[in-house]
Amino acid sequence: MRRHLMLRGGAFPLGVLLLLILAPSIAPHSPTDFNPASILQEPGADFLFGTDEYGRDVLSRILHGVRPTLFLALACAGLGVALGAPTGLLAGYAGGRVDEALMRAMDVLMSFPALILAMLIVVMLGPNTINVIVAIGVVFWPRSARLIRSVTQDLARREFVDAARARGEPVLSILLREILPNIAGIVIVDFTLRVAAAILLTASLSYLGIGVKPPTPAWGLMVKEGQQFLQIAPWLVIFPCLAIGIVSVGTVLTGDRLRRAAALAEGRAR
Amino acid sequence: MAALLLRRILLLALILLAVSLLTFGIVNILPGNVAHALLGETATAAEVRALEQRLGLDLPLAERYLAWIAAMARGDFGTSLAFHVPVAPLLLARLQNSVILALLVLAIAVPLALALGVTGAVMQGRLVDRLLSGFAVLAFALPEFVIGLVLILAFSIWLPILPGSSLIGPGENPLARPEALVLPVLVLTLHQLAHLSQVTRTSMIEVLDSNYVRTAELKGLSRWSVIVKHALRNALLPAVAEIGMNFGYVLGGLVVVETLFSYAGIGQLMVMSVSHRDVPTLQATVLVVAAAYGVGNLLADLASMLLSPRLRG
Repeated sequence: MRRHLMLRGGAFPLGVLLLLILAPSIAPHSPTDFNPASILQEPGADFLFGTDEYGRDVLSRILHGVRPTLFLALACAGLGVALGAPTGLLAGYAGGRVDEALMRAMDVLMSFPALILAMLIVVMLGPNTINVIVAIGVVFWPRSARLIRSVTQDLARREFVDAARARGEPVLSILLREILPNIAGIVIVDFTLRVAAAILLTASLSYLGIGVKPPTPAWGLMVKEGQQFLQIAPWLVIFPCLAIGIVSVGTVLTGDRLRRAAALAEGRAR
Repeated sequence: MAALLLRRILLLALILLAVSLLTFGIVNILPGNVAHALLGETATAAEVRALEQRLGLDLPLAERYLAWIAAMARGDFGTSLAFHVPVAPLLLARLQNSVILALLVLAIAVPLALALGVTGAVMQGRLVDRLLSGFAVLAFALPEFVIGLVLILAFSIWLPILPGSSLIGPGENPLARPEALVLPVLVLTLHQLAHLSQVTRTSMIEVLDSNYVRTAELKGLSRWSVIVKHALRNALLPAVAEIGMNFGYVLGGLVVVETLFSYAGIGQLMVMSVSHRDVPTLQATVLVVAAAYGVGNLLADLASMLLSPRLRG
């Protein structure tokens, strides 16, 4: 039974890993070359997922989109946690004025709805991948900081931290050597949940046409461009939507499973 | 309570001030000259300078910020660069349409989510609960535009019973064509429902497991009266806090859903002002949305205070 669960939990990350490595090489056609002879072909033997208005193979475009989609989400989540974790650690450990100042700054960032803040930052910095990463990283910053702060506050009151302080260890070493190892599990869980959220946010941004330019095979952008052919060529929308759906549901479930595993491990340790 | 309320309102005012600074700053300080962006790459230096003068971009930053805020306070939101009309009335009409959409969603999603959450908690582990949880994961993990397009395919293309777009003319009341509202409301409701029902379920399970509820049961109260009168009241607190937090998702969702259905709301206006580089409209929309978000959070806090005797203290 347990092995069965592990298998089910591992299938998605494993499948994604395989696709990451193989995707571009198993794509049957070019993702960007125009092909006037085969415009808006229905899904069939030649083109499994059909072709778009320029005759590009939808399957190949989706496969070439796997890497950018996942790398982008990982980078966004990574930046968010890299900004949020130190902020939360410092605020939670220092308390008092430092905590107050940091958390009020985080409140300001939280006072924009996530998608809208990301949109604004990308618009003003200019539409490219790096700026999308910066924008979503900033969106995640306060959310990550709040979580890490709350767990750090609990730990900062424990005896082993008091002992380290009494030994005269500098603040940085207490944060990195005493507290961080104890919250590493939560940081990792936080990261996976951010990856899932980043996939949603980046897909929505690219659907709104913000941050990516054609002919990039970003799935959201493919949906946006395909939408005008919804009546005559629904496959242009269905397959990219399916790809987004599989990846986002898969990451949400994986994150959820990791969270449960972490909670279980913590319960056992106590 | 009054002191706490006053503090929260003061905090909201401070946050709005910070938001206005941030909005202004993002547009004015970050790299990329606004006039240049508006005119495109081919603009000559003289053209750029002329436009800068017209928009007041040649004045010092602090002066521009104060003038902008003062004008906003008077209700003068500037003139839209894309539509060539004053921003304020344009924004107001759009805001009205979005508020109608958002209120419809909340009016449907909140009671339904509570009912589903309680059902899930009471039936914990049984088939109904597992189906509800599965549905919640799906609806929560999928982006709004994916759910929306699936619904458009299903209900306006394959089974043509509902319009796939919700175009409304200027000055037209969206409620006059309720069938055009069904799909947008449905998409946003599904998303809300997913999250809120799970939060209600979790807190309800916790409350049902408490000594407090066990006492009520031992007193011989009926199961139904324990659930509704004793448990739900306590389980409501996290749910209400969540509605406030979720308000941001509703606003973000509005941007996507209004664009998807071509619904003339504030979210679509925001996306349009981005693609037209219409800075005055963008600034005003962002500020209004941030204000709405702040007020929404404040209302949720107030509701939690009213529900919780401890916070009321």
